[in-house]
Amino acid sequence: MKDPVLPWFIAGPLIGFTVFLLLWLTGRSLGISSSYRVIVSYLAPKKINYFNYERKGDLWQVWFALGLLLAALFQFQVLGFEVEGAAFVYDINYIPQFFLGSFLIGFGSRYAGGCTAGHCIMGNAQFSLASMLSTIGFFVGGLIATYFINTYLF
Amino acid sequence: MKNIIYIALGFGFAHILIFSEAFHWSRIREMFYFESFHMYGLLFSAIATAALGIILVKRYNLKNINGTEIKVNKKQVQPTANVVGGLLFGMGWGITGACTAPLYILIGLNWKIGLIAITGALLGALLYGILQSKLKH
Repeated sequence: MKDPVLPWFIAGPLIGFTVFLLLWLTGRSLGISSSYRVIVSYLAPKKINYFNYERKGDLWQVWFALGLLLAALFQFQVLGFEVEGAAFVYDINYIPQFFLGSFLIGFGSRYAGGCTAGHCIMGNAQFSLASMLSTIGFFVGGLIATYFINTYLF
Repeated sequence: MKNIIYIALGFGFAHILIFSEAFHWSRIREMFYFESFHMYGLLFSAIATAALGIILVKRYNLKNINGTEIKVNKKQVQPTANVVGGLLFGMGWGITGACTAPLYILIGLNWKIGLIAITGALLGALLYGILQSKLKH
């Protein structure tokens, strides 16, 4: 049986509370996309300046990402949490689309200096101009993909 | 010790995204089709409560649990990078129906799709690193 969806007015404040907990317990500002930079920095040639950096400050995001992955394994593989339409949406036929989209996510989030977590939630919560600009970009990009790109891809 | 806190918070964060279906392709799709208030309500209330937390931290000069002062750094404004990078990220968001955190969650749901997605994201980050000095920021 499918579990009821956690309503937005509980989920949203819980995310806000996570931001506070992270800040209070560890002093870190929520963000996830720097974990990509950290992981690539272990594999990329040292001559690429962007990856030849003091990764210590971002390393925590890899642990955070590990928590995300463990939670997903726990819910989906151990407890068997049912995801509606998962077999249809997350089908291996869509591997090229997922690869292309994820490539844009990796490139775009590093170019913009953050993602939905770092810019849209954490940055906007600080009323940061960089994050407002990025969030407008995220949303317009999403609309372009939805109305003009996805019709050709799916 | 601190790493356990990061893992625990990531574990909790993923549960919010899973139970609210925010990680799900169909939720992102309905958001961009303006069919449901769910994602808008979720994002706006997350921003509002996070803002409240940050304001309280600043207002009361709240100390870290270890007794050190909490510093909240603002990201540097880079107009071209923010907008163009944002647009490209947004397209990826619209195509996959996932963003950065959900890509990690996808590995647990369907490891084939998830690993392809993470590989794509890492290669995207790699390309950015290679092109960084040539791109306008």
